Amino acid sequence: MNDEYTPRIVGFLCNWCSYTGADLAGVSRLKVPPSLRIIRVMCSGRIDPLFVLKAFLKGIDGVMMMGCHPGECHYQKGNYNARRRFILLQKILEAFDLEPERLGIWWVSASEATKYAKVTTEFAKEIEKIGPSPVANEIFL
Amino acid sequence: MRGSVLPIENNLEETILNFIKEAFDKKCIEAVILPKRIPSGDSFAYLLIKDKSILEGASPFPPVIPVQGAKAISSLTRQGSVKKKILAIMHPCEIRATIELFKLKQTTLNNLIFMSYDCPGVLPLSDYLENPDENDQTFLAAQQKWDSKDMRPVCKICTEFSAPASDLHIGQLGTDEGKIFLIPNSSVGKEFLNAFGLNSDVPLDEWEAEVEKLKKERENNKKDAQEKLKTKVEGPENLLETLSSCITCHNCMRVCPVCYCRQCYFDSDAFKFPPDNFISKSEKKGSIRLPSDTLIFHLGRMSHMIHSCVSCGTCEDACPMDIPIAQIFNLVADKTQQVLDYKPGRNIEEPLPTVTYQEEELQEFEKPYSETYIKVEETNV
Ligand code: SF4
Ligand code: SF4
Ligand code: SF4
Ligand code: FES
Repeated sequence: MNDEYTPRIVGFLCNWCSYTGADLAGVSRLKVPPSLRIIRVMCSGRIDPLFVLKAFLKGIDGVMMMGCHPGECHYQKGNYNARRRFILLQKILEAFDLEPERLGIWWVSASEATKYAKVTTEFAKEIEKIGPSPVANEIFL
Repeated sequence: MRGSVLPIENNLEETILNFIKEAFDKKCIEAVILPKRIPSGDSFAYLLIKDKSILEGASPFPPVIPVQGAKAISSLTRQGSVKKKILAIMHPCEIRATIELFKLKQTTLNNLIFMSYDCPGVLPLSDYLENPDENDQTFLAAQQKWDSKDMRPVCKICTEFSAPASDLHIGQLGTDEGKIFLIPNSSVGKEFLNAFGLNSDVPLDEWEAEVEKLKKERENNKKDAQEKLKTKVEGPENLLETLSSCITCHNCMRVCPVCYCRQCYFDSDAFKFPPDNFISKSEKKGSIRLPSDTLIFHLGRMSHMIHSCVSCGTCEDACPMDIPIAQIFNLVADKTQQVLDYKPGRNIEEPLPTVTYQEEELQEFEKPYSETYIKVEETNV
């Protein structure tokens, strides 16, 4: 077992805004947390709550959902749906005291590279503070 | 609210069966759907009855729910609407589930007339099977006294036990000895009462007051029960302890009225993985459970349908491992339905909360959880 804890965070980023924003952050050489692994989805509305649950049960320490700002989704309403699904997930986690603070949703546009760097860094710090996921070593899942 | 008064002849069951027979004679309906005891005597099945002589000995108020009524309705309408007027008598939770299935486009309700009643609850299916005769007596007594002590745990905490969005509702609470109320809930229900020449303008203040009273009582029961349950499911350790006896038979999903998928994702090929996948996981943890889908199945199922869960308890009745699965779902359903301001089966016009949205809503949840939480707590005070 490795004593040193490096959190593992998964980010589901919509292709049109947040992913482009992340790309811009890279091109602009902004510092983003190395613990974040990005999974690109076409729209935040494509994030099936199961993706998030699977990540958590695999022992991922934090999950970020990201999409275009409300009103700017390239498929009109994907992010509105995503927001409701996110809350559903948050309430499920909350009901079982499964550390809902490990999940969050953010709106990041294609030009908001600074916002992207800021929220990912803050979230990574937060997750580091919370510590490793308690389910990571559970066998009887 | 206003409705009609109907005198009870001999007993409630007979009164309702006679009412249905008359509805046949008056051509209000051409068939009826209701439970009847199966020949072996130890359970009940929904029947679609065309021949009214078969109504003899039927059980409009059965002591158990072996098959959820919404499943009966959706099996009837899978290939399209019914063309003849059919009356269906079901528990409120069954009607609420039917409405959810309608919203999920899994059933059509044309020509179906729903009759509900103030529901005292039902007995746990496995308890009932152990001694049907004795349990019939237990149920009868509980039904008369509105005593939920022997009823299923979800019935003890059910607050939606009265008039759902049905057409006609039988009010038993707050009535004088020997009478029931017939309460029209729709234009179809009104027509029905008109056909019977019943005055549907009797004020129902006493019924309303009694329903409210029982609701409060159930609300309190619920608070207590949920607090107790929380100690068993809060935190990964407790949750796993409660769920890990699950044998992943998926009975709970198969009998659930709102888990309608023809093929459940968790039974599908999309949920099967190559052996290397398991081996690498077991390498990381030292070991993994096989099959390894206990928790993801339950949490995943919740994430699919919890907003439509009507807390009918059918899943718990079907669980061979005595897992309080319906109570667990009820706990989560309460939370999610509250935040989305949705009650399953409340109103047929109300869209499912996952397909609708407001542009400006729920923004307080877009902040990191720690901040949201503090804010929400404060507004609650
Ligand atoms: S668990 Fe999900 S996929 Fe399976 S039947 Fe229920 S809603 Fe459908
Ligand atoms: S999850 Fe259980 S209690 Fe909820 S609707 Fe399905 S069968 Fe009924
Ligand atoms: S019915 Fe019970 S044992 Fe079977 S999958 Fe559901 S919770 Fe598990
Ligand atoms: S395309 Fe970005 S949220 Fe829908």
